[in-house]
Amino acid sequence: MILAVLFANAEGNILIERFHGVPAEERLHWRSFLVKLGADNLKGVKNEELLVACHKSVYIVYTILGDVSIYVVGKDAYDELALSEVIFTITSAVKDVCGKPPTERRFLDKYGRICLCLDEIVWKGYLENTEKDRIKRLIRLKPPTEF
Amino acid sequence: MAQQLVKKDDDRDDEAEYSPFMGIEKGAVLQEARVFNDPQLDARRCSQVITKLLYLLNQGETFTKTEATEVFFAVTKLFQSKDMGLRRMVYLMIKEISPSADEVIIVTSSLMKDMNSKIDMYRANAIRVLCRITDGTLLAQIERYLKQAIVDKNPVVASAALVSGIHLLQTNPEIVKRWSNEVQEAVQSRAALVQFHALGLLHQIRQNDRLAVSKLVTSLTRGTVRSPLAQCLLIRYTSQVIRESGNNTQPGDRPFYDYLESCLRHKSEMVIFEAARAITELNGVTTRELTPAITVLQLFLSSSKPVLRFAAVRTLNKVAMTHPTSVTNCNIDMESLISDQNRSIATLAITTLLKTGNESSVDRLMKQITNFMSDIADEFKIVVVEAIRSLCQKFPLKYRSLMNFLSNILREEGGFEYKKAIVDSIVILIREIPDAKETGLLHLCEFIEDCEFTYLSTQILHFLGIEGPKTSDPSRYIRFVYNRVHLENATVRAGAVSTLAKFGAAVDELKPRVFVLLRRCLFDSDDEVRDRATLYLNTLGGDGSVVETDKAVKDFLFGTFDIPLVNLETSLKNYVPSEEAFDIDSVPKEVKSQPLAEKKAPGKKPTGLGAPPSGPPSTADSYQRVLSSIPEFANFGNLFKSSEPVELTEAETEYAVNVVKHIFDRHVVFQYNCTNTIPEQLLENVIVIVDNSEADEFSEVFSRPLKSLPYDSPGQIFVAFEKPEGVPTLGKFSNVLKFIVREVDPATGEADDDGVEDEYQLEDLDIVSADYTLKVGVSNFRNAWESIGPDYEREDEYGLGPRESLAEAVNTVINLLGLQPCEGTEVVPPNSRSHTCLLSGVFIGNIKVLVRLSFGLDGPKDVAMKLTVRSEDETVSDAIHEIVASG
Repeated sequence: MILAVLFANAEGNILIERFHGVPAEERLHWRSFLVKLGADNLKGVKNEELLVACHKSVYIVYTILGDVSIYVVGKDAYDELALSEVIFTITSAVKDVCGKPPTERRFLDKYGRICLCLDEIVWKGYLENTEKDRIKRLIRLKPPTEF
Repeated sequence: MAQQLVKKDDDRDDEAEYSPFMGIEKGAVLQEARVFNDPQLDARRCSQVITKLLYLLNQGETFTKTEATEVFFAVTKLFQSKDMGLRRMVYLMIKEISPSADEVIIVTSSLMKDMNSKIDMYRANAIRVLCRITDGTLLAQIERYLKQAIVDKNPVVASAALVSGIHLLQTNPEIVKRWSNEVQEAVQSRAALVQFHALGLLHQIRQNDRLAVSKLVTSLTRGTVRSPLAQCLLIRYTSQVIRESGNNTQPGDRPFYDYLESCLRHKSEMVIFEAARAITELNGVTTRELTPAITVLQLFLSSSKPVLRFAAVRTLNKVAMTHPTSVTNCNIDMESLISDQNRSIATLAITTLLKTGNESSVDRLMKQITNFMSDIADEFKIVVVEAIRSLCQKFPLKYRSLMNFLSNILREEGGFEYKKAIVDSIVILIREIPDAKETGLLHLCEFIEDCEFTYLSTQILHFLGIEGPKTSDPSRYIRFVYNRVHLENATVRAGAVSTLAKFGAAVDELKPRVFVLLRRCLFDSDDEVRDRATLYLNTLGGDGSVVETDKAVKDFLFGTFDIPLVNLETSLKNYVPSEEAFDIDSVPKEVKSQPLAEKKAPGKKPTGLGAPPSGPPSTADSYQRVLSSIPEFANFGNLFKSSEPVELTEAETEYAVNVVKHIFDRHVVFQYNCTNTIPEQLLENVIVIVDNSEADEFSEVFSRPLKSLPYDSPGQIFVAFEKPEGVPTLGKFSNVLKFIVREVDPATGEADDDGVEDEYQLEDLDIVSADYTLKVGVSNFRNAWESIGPDYEREDEYGLGPRESLAEAVNTVINLLGLQPCEGTEVVPPNSRSHTCLLSGVFIGNIKVLVRLSFGLDGPKDVAMKLTVRSEDETVSDAIHEIVASG
């Protein structure tokens, strides 16, 4: 299960968050934990360089893309490697939508599309799509090319 | 204008001021949402409003019920638009709003229409939305379409239906299970993702049918699986099948091992890793099976991708717990990870190295870790401290460098949990390694000189009070303790006063000086500190006379509290304030026996200060106290050993009985702990009839029955036997519980006047050789072996016959002898053909004994053993050989 996908800006404000199977009262805790994790470790990290952490049986893979930091939290089948696949799909899709690693402004400009991409990639905690070209078509309701 | 915007886009400083959502407000956006009701829909504008709504929701904004309903109804109007982009947004918005059950009906028909649309993408999205908002009744209506969708030509439609199936299986399993055939067909799909989703769903549908899962795995491991993700799933299911197939196959013939091994050569790293991990987690994995997996993990250790490095070191860390030698080859790669930028990776590398390192590499490792510790967070430091603690227990000879390391990090900055972990570790090392005691205590003393945590200070002071007086020069600790009286808060000051008093009570030479210090505490500003000082001065004879402290006074002041706190709490709650004062003697001292399951839980490792070694039922002290309170046992002498409780009844029977065997030089006392678990019964005159016809060297000398055994209030029966002095006499005893039962009315709690005699058969009880040996460890076996000398050495060889494994043979002999394994030699490396195990202990009569066991495999399964015993008495050396010969 992919428990959470979070996007935050450089100041640690949440831009997008998606939780799956995480009780509402625990979300605040996760939010602040992830933002702190990023603040502690993401300084000086290159775009899309993956960082990883685990806490008991929960895994966290996170990275930075332009002005935006991205966090993915998973458990069980979604271990660090599966999550790195998920985050790779997310960063590729975001880059595709924004044209390059986004500034916060550009990210917000493309907010709607990014939400749609995320909807295609993670669906209620399961990975649904992994290819950026396909996702790009799906968010415009175009069938995939290989079909 | 457009040009201007482009320019701004390039200028990063200006951008933040131009957030498209700046000043966004819920009320205004809801107003804007009225645009959805326009007869002429502006698709672009509507999409922008939906984006704003999504932004608000993502910022944690909540809509009231009315607001949500209004937005939902307005959004449903957008189905009229044919604009593809807008439609996609509408699908997302409906999912985000999650309409309530009574509202769903508004949108169902539109979605059903889309579900049958010729446009594939409408179908896929309608399925996802419907499955998100639907309930069981609607699902039955659309089931037919979903089944078709699973085998749809368009992979997006198929995946949408399959992923929906995974979610619906949680709420409507009986419906989804009917799709098995379609899902089976989808597993064969050429589209990689469809295969992945279908495999996940099929496994979930069949997860309780072992045979079906096994068939699924068999057929897929032979065929082709296109997606690496699906391949990973298959590897997991394969491990499950291997695990469930049990251990009835020989190592090497393991089913599916070849498949797992072939996955190690897959082109996707994810698959390689999954296979490697599956192999390392196989039950009873052999070194040969493990080697290829370790090799690929070793390669991953130097990967440029942090995730791969992390995954590899995490897996190797786990392997190091069971197969440390197999991981040794990776040590060099792992050492380079200590400087990894990602601290999680570095910590895992350190802790793995600590597990796999040998005695000679300890010093080098500690040097590396010292540099590393300064730049990691407390939570990682705690993991390292725990690893160092176990390393020190493994290599007690290295205690100096490890203890130094712990004391150095104790002086550095750190939070409470971290400091507590270090203090706990030092305390455990002091308890387990006698040579480390004095240095360890001094490190703790230095720590409390500058400790900001009251809890830790008081705990250390308590520990100092127990251990300090037993050292060669107790006076050196006094300064540290008395400084606390001047410098700390009231809680610590009170703790320091108690510790001072303990020194005074235990060391007579220190008494006059301790009295001087205690008298100074009489003027403390805090009541508790003054009260304690007064109490100690009066009871220890602070009137100036220096006399040996009376044992009763010592017991009163510092003895463990022999009343279980639970019982005291219950009694205090039941006490009704009256003329009559609360009588502490009325509190029952018997402890409720734990349920069987709890007792069988794996033994806890010794913890540090957090869990002082008191616990009334478990310590020899409390047994000694209970036994000495019975006059008939007064002349039995010192208690040599009390066994762990042996259960004489099954779990959850009417009466729960276990027995503790107390061994004296010439006597054995059986303490039967009985609990009556029937609320409607009161047992009276409870006795145990012990038949010792198979233990004829024992003769019964005394039996103390239990007058009454009410429901859920445990009681004890004692039966004592005489036996030949100092000899490890063995025997079997059969036991029957006899009593008078009286019916109790649970409503009133009153018992009938008439009782009926009854009896209850208990399990048999054995006195075995291990009952006459005490587990006492030595910190340096070789020194102890040399110092005891070869005068009474006895050596012989034994054939142990066919055994399951070498480890099993080693365990059997350790349990048979009941001695303490030293230097971690009880662990047999997997696949070794020979092993040496060192044991130490004390034999009845307080005679030290050391044992060296050399095991070797003789043929495929036969185990041969050479047993060398050294002790302070030749009869004991012979007795140990007799135990093995007859065992």
